Amino acid sequence: MDPSLRIVPASVPKTASVVETSNSLGLHDTLQYGPRTIATEMKTEGSLKDRLYNWEETQDNLKLTMMRNTYGLHAPMRLLMERRIASANPHMTLLPQTNLQLDILMGRDESVEAADVFAGPLSGPPLDIRQDMEKKHRI
Amino acid sequence: MHRLKQGEVNLGTSIMAVQFDGGVVIGADSRTTTGSYIANRVTDKLTYLHDRIYCCRSGSAADTQAIADFGHYYLQMQTQVMGSAPSVLTAAAIMEKMCYQNKDQLSAGIIVAGWDKKAGPSVYNIPLGGGLFRQPWAIGGSGSTYVYGYCDATYQEGWGKDETVNFVKNTLALAMSRDGSSGGCIRMCVITEDGVERKFIPGDELPRFWEGKEVLGEATRKPLAALSTVSDVAPMAVEV
Repeated sequence: MDPSLRIVPASVPKTASVVETSNSLGLHDTLQYGPRTIATEMKTEGSLKDRLYNWEETQDNLKLTMMRNTYGLHAPMRLLMERRIASANPHMTLLPQTNLQLDILMGRDESVEAADVFAGPLSGPPLDIRQDMEKKHRI
Repeated sequence: MHRLKQGEVNLGTSIMAVQFDGGVVIGADSRTTTGSYIANRVTDKLTYLHDRIYCCRSGSAADTQAIADFGHYYLQMQTQVMGSAPSVLTAAAIMEKMCYQNKDQLSAGIIVAGWDKKAGPSVYNIPLGGGLFRQPWAIGGSGSTYVYGYCDATYQEGWGKDETVNFVKNTLALAMSRDGSSGGCIRMCVITEDGVERKFIPGDELPRFWEGKEVLGEATRKPLAALSTVSDVAPMAVEV
């Protein structure tokens, strides 16, 4: 949580990085992703995308900061702790995953959004389980 | 801090708040413009933050509404925790923090005014950059630039409620008559310990000052007295 009263997401400065396609040595992984191109490295794609992407997170952060100012540091800390506990999933990455506890904590349990109706896996069955687990545990 | 974005609704405005012995008087015009189109000619720019704390909004309508909403939300939470009404300084401080931390994306000038038990009546001016200034009287908005001289020359300390209401009314009427983005009617609130009294002055009852006189061509125009004597004479016969 960032103790800031930002109402809308800030416009992100233009960056380019090889983080997404890097292998364990920190360089671009040519074997997996093909030759290195600028297109894969460009990070900024226009301020509207960043704004929409960070919208919910910014609103949530504003509410948490106000809670911190009013009730003390413990209030947002407890909420974030509860969310982390609810989202701790010991299972391997299976495709259909619903987390009712997390939905309730985030206040999404009584709303139906486009993502719920048009749900479906973004990619097919996991091709590389090790890579999925790496991503999940953030190694 | 950007200028208004294209198509954004502008609260080009005259707003004002003055403190007197038992409370504050806040006032605003009622025009909201989108470019040269008047989107709303009866806007209420005096926004409720708490029972005895109001704010006047100028700048971008969307930005100031968002800030006022969050300010109201925060003060409600504070009231629950503290068990009593928040002070005007608390309200002004939270508005100022939001204005300053978002200053690269907002264009909002806000005046927070009200009455609280500890400090009595107070007026806080939060201009464009997000600074906080306490003053006995504050004016803001695009129309305020035309009336700084009038306010400096007229304001006296120690006024009662009626004189302060008159001061606000005259100042806003002068600002509205010179500023293109201010106009409509005058809305005022008188906030005291006992309550909030709203006053409304429609556009045809505004105080009027010197409204200009066409001076060009004065020398060649016949005075009215001369014209009436000329009309007694019969028209002259003309040979064709």
